[in-house]
Amino acid sequence: MSDVTETHEDTIPHPGAATYLIIAAFLIVLTVMEITVFYVHPLRPVLVPVLLVLAAAKFALVAMFYMHLKYDGWLLTGVFVFPLLAASVVIAALLMLFAYLSHHLAPIT
Amino acid sequence: MSAQPKPIPIHQPSYLEGGGPLSWLTTIDHKRVAVMYGVSALVFMAMGGLEAMAIRVQLWSPDNHALSAATYNAFFTMHGTTMIFLVVMPLLLGFLGNFLIPLQIGARDVAFPRLNAASFWLALVAGVLLHMGAIRGGLPDAGWFGYANLTERYYSPGLGLDWWVVGLLVSGTSTVLTGLNFLTTIIAMRAPGMTYMRMPMFIWAMMVTSVLILIAFPALTIGLIFLLFDRFFDTHFYVASAGATPILWQHLFWLFGHPEVYIMALPAFGIISEVLPTHARKPLFGYPMMAYSMVLIAFLSYGVWGHHMFATGMGPVADSAFAITSMLIAIPTGIKIFSWIATVWGGSLRMTTAFYFALGMLLEFTLGGLSGIMHAAAPVDLQQTDSYFVVAHFHYVLFGGSMFAILSGFYYWWPKITGRMLGETLGKWQFWLTVIGFNATFFPMHFLGMWGMPRRTYTYGADMGWTHLNQLETVGAFVLGIAFLLFYINIFKSLASGELAPADPWDGRSLEWSTASPPPAYNFAVIPQIRGRDAWWILKYGRAGSRGVAAYMSGKAANPQLEPPAAPIHMPAPSIFPLVLSLGVGTMGLGLIIDWYRIILIGAAAVVLSVIGMGFEYPDFGEQSHDPEHAPSSGGVDLRKIGVWSFIGSECVFFASLISTFIVYKSRSIGGPGPEILNIPLTSFSTFILLMSSLLMVLALAATQRGDRLWERIWLAGTVLFGLIFLGGQVYEFTSFYNEGMGLTTNLFSQSFFVLVGFHGAHVAIGVLWLVVLLVAAMMGELGKSRALSVELAGLYWHFVDVVWIIIFTLVYLMQTVSGA
Repeated sequence: MSDVTETHEDTIPHPGAATYLIIAAFLIVLTVMEITVFYVHPLRPVLVPVLLVLAAAKFALVAMFYMHLKYDGWLLTGVFVFPLLAASVVIAALLMLFAYLSHHLAPIT
Repeated sequence: MSAQPKPIPIHQPSYLEGGGPLSWLTTIDHKRVAVMYGVSALVFMAMGGLEAMAIRVQLWSPDNHALSAATYNAFFTMHGTTMIFLVVMPLLLGFLGNFLIPLQIGARDVAFPRLNAASFWLALVAGVLLHMGAIRGGLPDAGWFGYANLTERYYSPGLGLDWWVVGLLVSGTSTVLTGLNFLTTIIAMRAPGMTYMRMPMFIWAMMVTSVLILIAFPALTIGLIFLLFDRFFDTHFYVASAGATPILWQHLFWLFGHPEVYIMALPAFGIISEVLPTHARKPLFGYPMMAYSMVLIAFLSYGVWGHHMFATGMGPVADSAFAITSMLIAIPTGIKIFSWIATVWGGSLRMTTAFYFALGMLLEFTLGGLSGIMHAAAPVDLQQTDSYFVVAHFHYVLFGGSMFAILSGFYYWWPKITGRMLGETLGKWQFWLTVIGFNATFFPMHFLGMWGMPRRTYTYGADMGWTHLNQLETVGAFVLGIAFLLFYINIFKSLASGELAPADPWDGRSLEWSTASPPPAYNFAVIPQIRGRDAWWILKYGRAGSRGVAAYMSGKAANPQLEPPAAPIHMPAPSIFPLVLSLGVGTMGLGLIIDWYRIILIGAAAVVLSVIGMGFEYPDFGEQSHDPEHAPSSGGVDLRKIGVWSFIGSECVFFASLISTFIVYKSRSIGGPGPEILNIPLTSFSTFILLMSSLLMVLALAATQRGDRLWERIWLAGTVLFGLIFLGGQVYEFTSFYNEGMGLTTNLFSQSFFVLVGFHGAHVAIGVLWLVVLLVAAMMGELGKSRALSVELAGLYWHFVDVVWIIIFTLVYLMQTVSGA
């Protein structure tokens, strides 16, 4: 393999180590919060929404900062977000459809 | 043909020249790959056509036994599978798409030529696997959509369905790679000046189709993987007695299946949108609306799969939602039909065979669309489901729509592909026989369906009153057979002694007509500068379209594309590895089915070696731009990055299908351990490890970007180590579950858990391997600042694996007490 000059095309430069460390700290804190929510029984009624929000926050932090979507412009964000929305539609639709099926079919014994 | 420019002597060797027959095995030229797709699809089309005629022979008379029931089942299964996966898609995408995309956007090749060659060889291997049952174990016989649980081992004990599952998995992989390649090519490799709103409509069609492929095929892949596990590893993803529901297959299949209809229709729309303006000598009417309606069709097509399942009882809300979206899709489709009519209206028409087939498509597809709207009404659909009415409908869409357009495209672009004209007289005979045969075969099916004739029926009683229409259909099928025979004769005659084609035989509008027929290997001697839509037309006639003033046409100037290039043009070197990789994949499939695991290992070794081989072949990481003058059209984003992100996007749907299944099945599980068995402390630790591995990965990238070779190695090694710790934790977790009595086949919870988490683990393992390769390169001093993008690409994949785990950790582990759907 021979060396070539890599064209670095991003419109905004990628962040440095300090930003990455701050994001890591956030990720750790959010994960600790998730585990805490899981073990604290009084929080069970709000378990699902709280966990979903925390997971979404972690997801967004990794995608924006570690995967550089925040810096790489709209094109790559579009290439990722559209299938991500499709994936969300798949999950939501299948869960709703099967929830209906479960409630309207005799339980299997 | 219109007035032609003066013949210009062409000094360029065409892409068909040079190299012996063996050079085709190693070619990565998009045009040669396209030709190979075309040849294989024409062979499969003959096979699928003969199967169709055999089906019609069986249905000629009541209580007929021309075929055995088993053979009949195999023939209608293979006819559908062959025509969809091995004929229509390969002709639209592999043949026309591959040939035309780079030529129409002013590029020298597709974004990833080796991947492109691998896509073809994989498609061919898939075709062979799908037909292997004829040699061993019998052909598949459960219908082209293989409804569960007919496809389970209990009901289909032979090897036929095994070949089908593995063949379709390979075919799907090939198609996803093609979609990824095309999308990247169109985004990143357009000629300077070719904005999105200046692209030919065929390119719009291929771009939208590529997106659909990336988000639709993963659902089929997951459905097939579940079926593969059921058949090979005794799981029960579709076995009702285990608590599962066969309806899951239908959802996954039609999540793919309805977008698939548009994957076969949108490129056909693109072809018609090229043929009609050229033959009417007018610009395409309503270009922006045509482009937007294509996007809208794709968007809506992802939300209509349920109209294939009204009969399953999805409930009034779901039925209404799917009915509304199915009706809505008629709006953008109607826009296209009216725009095509308006394009032709008032034009100076050139009545060639290509134009005949384009007009034929307009009429026949519209008929298919009208019966499609009927299916959007759930009560009507319930009457038509599984009747011959449906067979009529989808043949009007896929034959009347896609096949008519393919034939139009064949006649239109054949001169460009081969350098010779197809015979117009034979072509028109073929057209009229096709129209007569097609309508005689499929129009009566509407009536038979409404009279109650079920689809896939082996035979029928004389007292049903279906005999005469069935006989008309059989006659029609044979007329259709004669029409296709003429087509093949026309092809052979053209290749043997056809009239030589000029560069621009139809007075075309898009860039491919500016090059020689057939084009040189590098496509364009000079990368064209695009000044508007209908790029070649503007170059010929000027922006106002004033005829007779063009320098090229009047002979005042030579078309630079027909001259030798000023300097040698570097093209990627041929490679044997795409073929080896595909043979390896085929060998793995073969070994799995004949239960010979050494064969699988040999196949796996070939795959690994060819992937490594292709990596080392990659010339200076420079495939994205074969010519320094060809600046990327992606706003400066490297095309490999676009490729990786496209792949990641597709993986989102892959994991969404797995996650949905886990959530649905975890509370339907019967007996055995459930979610309470999950070890939160262990997986919390694993989660921290994976998150921190992402940190180390970006630190490695930052070190690489600033040229810090020491820390580049340290952080990369750390990432590999953390990845291995994560995998070790997963092995420990799986082993402890096994010791506690939870194996893969224990219950629905265990199988959906192991498949979901196992597939994520497999992704982590692939990521670790990738990182090890980078680490070795770093240790050898081969990485460094100039290769930062290589680290970034591996990092993107690694972070994606991380975000998937974030979702799995939440939905699978932390929500273990929440009941499923």
